[in-house]
Amino acid sequence: MALSFQTVIGLEIHVQLATKSKLFCSCSTDYIGARPNSNVCPVCLGMPGSLPVVNGRAVELAAMVGLALGSKVQQATRFHRKNYFYADLSKGYQISQFDLPICAGGLLVFDDDEGKEVRVAITRAHLEEDAGKLVHPSVDGRLAGALHSLVDYNRGGVPLLEIVSEPDITCPPHARRYTEEIRRLVRYLGVSDGDMESGSLRVDANISQKVSDGRWGSRVEIKNMNSLRSLERALEYEVKRQRKVLAEGGEIHQETRHWDDGEGKTRSMRSKEEAHDYRYFPDPDLPPLIVTADRIEALRSLMPELPWQAERRLVDAYGLGADDAKVLAESAAAVAYLDGCVQAGAEAKRAANWVRTEVLRVLNERKISIEAFPLKPESLASILALVDRGKLSTTAAKDVFDVMVRDGSGLDTAMAAAGVVSGRVEGSRLEEIVEKVLAENADAAEAVRSGKDPKDKKIKFLQGLVMRETRGQADVAQVASLIARKLS
Amino acid sequence: MAVTEDEVKHVARLARLEVGDDEVVALAGHFNLILTHFERLQEVDTSGVVDVVDAVDVTPWRNDEVASWDGRERALAQAPDRDEDYFRVPQILEEA
Amino acid sequence: MKLYARSAADLARSIRSKEHSVAEVVEAHLSRMERMEPILSAIITPLKEEARARASALDIALSRDENPGPLTGVPFIVKDNFCTRGVRTTCASRMLEGWVPPYDATVVRYLEEAGAVLIGKANMDEFAMGSSTEHSAFFTTGNPWDPRRVPGGSSGGSAAACAAGYAPLAFGSDTGGSIRQPAAFCGVYGFKPTYGMVSRYGVVPFASSLDQIGPFSRTLEDLLLAMEVIARPDERDATCSRALRPDFRKALDVTDLRGKRVGLVKEFEGYDIDGAVIESLRSAREILIDAGASVVDVTLPTVGHGLACYYIIAPAEASSNLARFDGVRYGFSAEADSLIELYHKTRQGGFGPEVKRRLLMGTYVLSSGYYDAYYNKALKVVAILRGEFDRAFSEVDFILAPTTPTLPFRKGENIGDPIRMYMSDLFTLPANMAGLPALSLNGGYSEGLPVGIQLIGPRFGEMEIFSAAAVIEKSLGLPRLAGGVL
Repeated sequence: MALSFQTVIGLEIHVQLATKSKLFCSCSTDYIGARPNSNVCPVCLGMPGSLPVVNGRAVELAAMVGLALGSKVQQATRFHRKNYFYADLSKGYQISQFDLPICAGGLLVFDDDEGKEVRVAITRAHLEEDAGKLVHPSVDGRLAGALHSLVDYNRGGVPLLEIVSEPDITCPPHARRYTEEIRRLVRYLGVSDGDMESGSLRVDANISQKVSDGRWGSRVEIKNMNSLRSLERALEYEVKRQRKVLAEGGEIHQETRHWDDGEGKTRSMRSKEEAHDYRYFPDPDLPPLIVTADRIEALRSLMPELPWQAERRLVDAYGLGADDAKVLAESAAAVAYLDGCVQAGAEAKRAANWVRTEVLRVLNERKISIEAFPLKPESLASILALVDRGKLSTTAAKDVFDVMVRDGSGLDTAMAAAGVVSGRVEGSRLEEIVEKVLAENADAAEAVRSGKDPKDKKIKFLQGLVMRETRGQADVAQVASLIARKLS
Repeated sequence: MAVTEDEVKHVARLARLEVGDDEVVALAGHFNLILTHFERLQEVDTSGVVDVVDAVDVTPWRNDEVASWDGRERALAQAPDRDEDYFRVPQILEEA
Repeated sequence: MKLYARSAADLARSIRSKEHSVAEVVEAHLSRMERMEPILSAIITPLKEEARARASALDIALSRDENPGPLTGVPFIVKDNFCTRGVRTTCASRMLEGWVPPYDATVVRYLEEAGAVLIGKANMDEFAMGSSTEHSAFFTTGNPWDPRRVPGGSSGGSAAACAAGYAPLAFGSDTGGSIRQPAAFCGVYGFKPTYGMVSRYGVVPFASSLDQIGPFSRTLEDLLLAMEVIARPDERDATCSRALRPDFRKALDVTDLRGKRVGLVKEFEGYDIDGAVIESLRSAREILIDAGASVVDVTLPTVGHGLACYYIIAPAEASSNLARFDGVRYGFSAEADSLIELYHKTRQGGFGPEVKRRLLMGTYVLSSGYYDAYYNKALKVVAILRGEFDRAFSEVDFILAPTTPTLPFRKGENIGDPIRMYMSDLFTLPANMAGLPALSLNGGYSEGLPVGIQLIGPRFGEMEIFSAAAVIEKSLGLPRLAGGVL
């Protein structure tokens, strides 16, 4: 009888919280590109006698994620020490949370790629400090083969929120979707930049197989997946590997495996001489962390609309397509921008289309956030109003938009600069343009005049040129009859 | 609950302390002596004591403000093995 | 009176009135230190040139009538686990033999801001683990009343230096009695404040939940003056109280204890206590009764388990606190071919045997399978003990107890018997377990050796203790300067 398998996945997502200073000291968290060991102090260097003091903002950001996930934000929590030795750890322990995490429980609901609803329960989310960074100056930059490693503690002490899911995820694409959804949430809330490549969002997966003959494969932890794509690939690989071993009657051992993106394989990490025994105990340097009910309520009242709520609203209230709504609801600022356009009188679907294509295009080109976008929603709405009233063609409107973005100018100035006149091009002005086009394209004109344009290709070409000259502001039928008259 | 020499060695590994074979014997003896004193704790009835977070002492919250420290150079200067801006460690055979 | 025999308050007054310069005062103490040090070996790092430079800077400031702090020109000594910017801080360990911290402990900063002059860093048991200062990696310190005997520990160097007149004020840290026991052995005041009264920032910890920083002095006035300087909030220590502290020196005026109730702990009666200690306790009790206090028996049924709890909790925290000594960022670092070897060799070579013993014990009680049986159990027993103290303090205002069961013992007498050494903390460590303020004061002398007695108060009940101490000092007189017998 053929065996069947069931995949069981749980994810641990570490999110770097977007605070200015570290979790337990006042050093800057801005470590990317910083000179090594420049954002350090006695506390994050683990110097004898130094003591930690909690960054209140990190606590608030953690609580916001908890509120968004429907977790219980616990009023009384505490920090524990997780004891182990490693070169990137300056104190010989990491300050983390253990029995009383700041957020307990929760649920994340999202649609999979086929639009089917997936529900993943959240076990907990807890605060902890990040470790420093190691540089391995070997030939290939990897640990193996390096005679020495270099330690930079700039990242040490940066606040992390570790979000732990229940093992509710049943396939690699769902793991990817779950991670996308967490990433969208933390970005939307402004809690983290959620960037996987730079490591501000890191995913570890626990994956196992349940076999139809009653066997359970042990849980394997997968690390080093630096993108959504590698997460999905690593898990797909691991599903196949584990199923093959189990199908052949083998056993899966509990272990940690490293994903090698280049090789497209997971690899067993060197087995340790002993299992970790972290000897957790309450950190005596930090009295209990109390988040009062008042504080939690104040945070709740400040909570913005959540991305999935915004997505639904864009569909329901604005009549947007699911795809548009999903793209826009990636960012709270994009949604706010769209809302601004609509409030200023723009038609929602058209505005959404513009935000999604034109605005996001400029943001990508300039690598800026929407907060830094030079055009106010009201200005975009005023362009769109002209389009609605037939006073501006879409093409002309885009020219005006580009000028306004480029120069930061007002609508009238931008229209003049773009050579765009509001309203129809007709009458003598249109006639001038037609004559100019015919003169500049005498061959085509002659062919039409002498009846050598059986498929109307040439006359269409001439019409197109005229329309372009008028930036689409002329009536096509009028242009056609005018050309026909001139060439008859 | 007697402590074996193997347990002493295990604990020494956890604490990253090297103990010689002669030390292990003495340490196991010392452990057992002290542990017999600890055993008396089991006489105390702690069933009613809940390990609750005591809200009397509350950890203060620091404002999220950056302050830079002027001691980095003096800190690096004390490194037993320094490579320019980095602390240097010998090769890491064991993974984290 | 010789300058080195005078009190801090007295010196500060004569400096303020320009009767003496800071340079004179500092020089007198440095030469006293120089003369006594060959006998006592109390100091790891003397700071003669630094002290002289600071003295002349202070004299210049004084000549410009700049506002001097309450301790301007007063020499002081700190235990060598207090971080001092630019001055090596060894914790009496090979591990930190050459370490120069780039920052000051908060307490050192507060003292220097008050105008005090640091003249030396005192010997101690390595990383404050010990009760005799014999566990210093460098040398042992003599008791100034009899150099063949120990000064107590772990702050033995500070206590001996204060007693012998190196400085009117010295400072130490107390985890299970490390200020009070050496104060008793050296015949000076030694005070462990309420947990959270004084900032721990920059003092290399032994056991963070038990450590408190406190002063040694030869007069109660000096002790309270020092407390007014160091007992202040500190935003760098999350365990340091943000509340206002009382004006401690107001206690000096107390002569009358009518209405006050003194507690005597029933359970302590059964302990093996030296006759001289019992005698001193009896006379202190009489003094308190004469001042109008009434004596009440209190009971602490769990106090007998304090020692076991202490020797579980303190090493457990220490095993984590001392994990940072790994040879990577500072301190001793062994030659090694791999990271794991670096850890093992550094920690093997850097820590002495008593420290290693405690680190192993601490690691053991936290390790999986034993956490509940030992560490967690100890925490719960401590919670019970705290409740018992709370009940006791609903009946009494303070407790009178021995500081140590014995008089200063001879060097080498207990070194081979850790358990017996641990027993000398029997009466002091309950205050650490419960976070209570406790003062050791001199209760007289027996065959040329000082006898210490202890006053324990409720949390933040410092004024109760100081009031009683004021009454006792007025009756017994000031403790003697120890140099006289040498």
